[in-house]
Amino acid sequence: MKFLRLIRAVLRELFDEAAYERFCIRSGFGVGPESYAKFINENASSTRSKLRCC
Amino acid sequence: MKSGVRFILWTAVALLGALALATIALHRGEQINALWLVAAAVCTYALGYRFYSGFIAAKVLALDPQRATPAERLDNGRDFLPTNKWVVFGHHFAAIAGPGPLVGPVLAAQFGYLPGTLWILVGAVFGGCVQDFVILLFSVRRDGKSLTEMAKAEIGRVGGIVAYASVISILVILLAVCALIVVNALKQSPWGTFTIAMTIPIAFLMGVYLRRMRPGRVLETSAIGFVLVLAAIWGGQWVSQTQAIAKYFTMAAPALAIALIVYGFAASALPVWLLLAPRDYLSTFVKLGTIGLLALGIVVMHPALHMPALTKFIDGTGPVFAGKVFPFAFITVACGAISGFHSLISSGTTPKLIRRETEIRLVGYGAMVAESMVAIMATVAACVLEPGTYFAINSPAGIAGQLPEKAASTISAWGFPVTAAGMQALAQSVGEQTLFNRTGGAPAFAVGMAHIFSSSLGGQAVMALWYHFALMFEALFILTVLDAGTRVGRFMVQDTLGHAWKPLGRTSWYPSVLATSGLIVFAWGYFLWQGVRDPLGGINSLWPLFGIANQLLATVALCVATSIIVKTHRAKYMLVTLAPLAWLVAVTFAASWHKIFDPDPRIGFLAQARKLALSGGSSRLIFNNRLDAVVTGALIVMVGLILLESLRQWFGILSGKKAAQTKESPFVLTRLAKEQV
Repeated sequence: MKFLRLIRAVLRELFDEAAYERFCIRSGFGVGPESYAKFINENASSTRSKLRCC
Repeated sequence: MKSGVRFILWTAVALLGALALATIALHRGEQINALWLVAAAVCTYALGYRFYSGFIAAKVLALDPQRATPAERLDNGRDFLPTNKWVVFGHHFAAIAGPGPLVGPVLAAQFGYLPGTLWILVGAVFGGCVQDFVILLFSVRRDGKSLTEMAKAEIGRVGGIVAYASVISILVILLAVCALIVVNALKQSPWGTFTIAMTIPIAFLMGVYLRRMRPGRVLETSAIGFVLVLAAIWGGQWVSQTQAIAKYFTMAAPALAIALIVYGFAASALPVWLLLAPRDYLSTFVKLGTIGLLALGIVVMHPALHMPALTKFIDGTGPVFAGKVFPFAFITVACGAISGFHSLISSGTTPKLIRRETEIRLVGYGAMVAESMVAIMATVAACVLEPGTYFAINSPAGIAGQLPEKAASTISAWGFPVTAAGMQALAQSVGEQTLFNRTGGAPAFAVGMAHIFSSSLGGQAVMALWYHFALMFEALFILTVLDAGTRVGRFMVQDTLGHAWKPLGRTSWYPSVLATSGLIVFAWGYFLWQGVRDPLGGINSLWPLFGIANQLLATVALCVATSIIVKTHRAKYMLVTLAPLAWLVAVTFAASWHKIFDPDPRIGFLAQARKLALSGGSSRLIFNNRLDAVVTGALIVMVGLILLESLRQWFGILSGKKAAQTKESPFVLTRLAKEQV
C-alpha cells in the first residue's frame, strides 16, 4: 500500500496535480477554470527553466 | 543486514558482473543473449551506485543531512519546495530522459554492440552519473544557481560567457538534429505522419479539456490523450491503405521539414496551456509506460543479438556515419553515458526541490543510472536486428544506392547479407512502403522494438502496430524537446536582448515573442534544411556536431565541478571529475579536428567542401560544409578558453598563489523535524 501511495504521489507531482492543489490552498481559490487559468499563468514563468533533455 | 552477508552479496554481484562483461567482450562469431548485456549493466550500476557514489557522497562532497537546502530556506511553494526524494527522482528522470539515449546507441551499433555498450557502462558510472551528481550538489549549495551562473562565479567572466554561448549553440544544434530524426522517420510514411499530426489536435483538445472542463485533472486528461493517440495509430493504418487520403500524408523530406519549422514557431509563440503543457504531459505519460514495457519485453523475451561484437566499420568507413571508433563512438553515444545537457537540468529545476542533501545521491547519480539503462535497452533493440537489415535501414541512399536491388547488393558486399525482397516483406509487415534509407536511428529502433514486442504480444499480425507505436513514442519525445527547447531558447535570447533594449526582454510583449521565436526557429531550421538537402543523409554531419557540442558542454560542467573541488579539497579528490574531463577533452578535441580537417570528404567538412567545389557542386552545400567547420571550430575555441582559465585557476590555488574561495551559501541548520531527515 505504501508503495502504491508513493507511486500515486510521484505521478501527481509529475503531472502538476499536487502543485495545483497547493496553489489553491495558498491562494484561497477553489478548484475551477478561473483558478486553473491563474495557476497556469503563474507556472508559465517556471516553464522557462523546464528544459527537456535530448 | 550483517556485514558478512553483505560482503557475500556484493562479491556475488561483482562476480556476476565480471562474468557478464567477459561474455559480451570475448564472444566472437556466435550470437549472445541480450540478457548478458542487461546483467552486465545491472551489476555495474549496482556496484557503481553502492561504492563509487558512496565514496563521492561521503568523502568528496561530504553530504550533510543537517544542512538546510534552498528548497527549505527559500520555500515559496512554487519553484523552491521541499519534495519527497522519489518525486524529485521522477521529475529529474523525466527531464533528462529524451530521445538521445535511444538514438545514439542505435547509430553507434554500426561498430557492433561492444564499443557502445562498454562506453555506456564506463561512461555513465565514472562520467555521466558523477557529473549530474556533483553539479546538482554544487547548485544546491549555491541556492539553485544555474551552470552559467556557477561558471561565472567559480571560473570567472570568461567561464560565464562561454557556458552561455555553449548552451545556446547546443540548443540550436540539438533542435535541428531532433527535427531531422523526425523528418527521416516520417518521410514517405502516411501512417507515421498521420499519427504524429494527430498528436497536435489531441494536445489542443487536452489543453481545452484541462482548462475548461476538468481543471487540474492532468492524469485523467493524459490517460484520455493516450487513448486518443492509440486510436490515431489504429486509424493511421486505415489512412495508409486509403489512397485518396494517404496522398495528403505522404510527404517528402523537404515538405516535412517546412511543416516542423512552422510547428516549432507556433509552439514557441502559442500559450503554454494550449500546446506545450498538454504535449509535455502526454509525452511523460507515454515515456514512463513505454520504457517500463520495453524493459519488461527484453527480460521476458530475452532475444538473441544478431549484430556481432565488432564490425569492420570500426576502421571509420561506416555507412551510418563516417569516422573511426575512437573518437566517434564516444560522441555518438552521449545521453546514455555522459551528456552536458544534463548539467542544465541538474542546475535548473531539480536543485530547488531537494529536501535533504543526502537525497542528492539518489536523484543525481541514480536517475542517470536509470537513463543509462534506457541506452542499454536501445542497444539491444538495434542489435536484435539482422545486421543486413540494420544497415539497409540506416545507410543513406548516397552511399548504399538509390534502388532497393542496388542497396541490397552493396550492403551484402560489405559482408551483411540482405535482399531487396526480404526488406520489402519487412516494410510491408510494418506498414511502410520501404525501409531502405531511413536514416536517423528512430526507424531502426522502432523495427527492433516491434520485433521484441511482437514476439510476445500479438505476433507478426500486430508488428505494424508495434512499429508505429514505437515511432509515435520517439516522435512524441522529440517534438516535446522541440517545443520546450525552442521556448527556452527564446527566453534566453530575450534575456540577452533585454540588456540592449528593455522591451525585447519582456516575455509578454508579443512583437518580441514573435521576433525571438523566429530567430531561434530560423537558427535550428537552417541546420535542419541543410541536413535534409545533404546527399549523405544529414545525420552524418549533424549528429557528430551535436555530439561534439553536447560533450563540450559536459567539459564546461566538469571544469566548474573540478574548480570547486580544488577550492574545497585542493588536489586530493580532483581526479573524480578531472579523469572524465580529461577523457572528454581528448574525445571532443580529436573528433572536432577530424570533422574540420580530416582529408576524407565523408568525415572532414572542409574536405567535403573542396570535393564539392572541384566537382562543380552546389554553392549552398559548399557554404554549409564551411559553416559546419566554423561552428565546430568556434565551439572548440570557446571551450579551450574555459579550459585555460580553469587550468590557470587550479595551478594558482595548488601552488598557493591564489586564495581558494568558493561562492557557497552559508551553512544553515535544518529546521525540518528529525523524522523527515
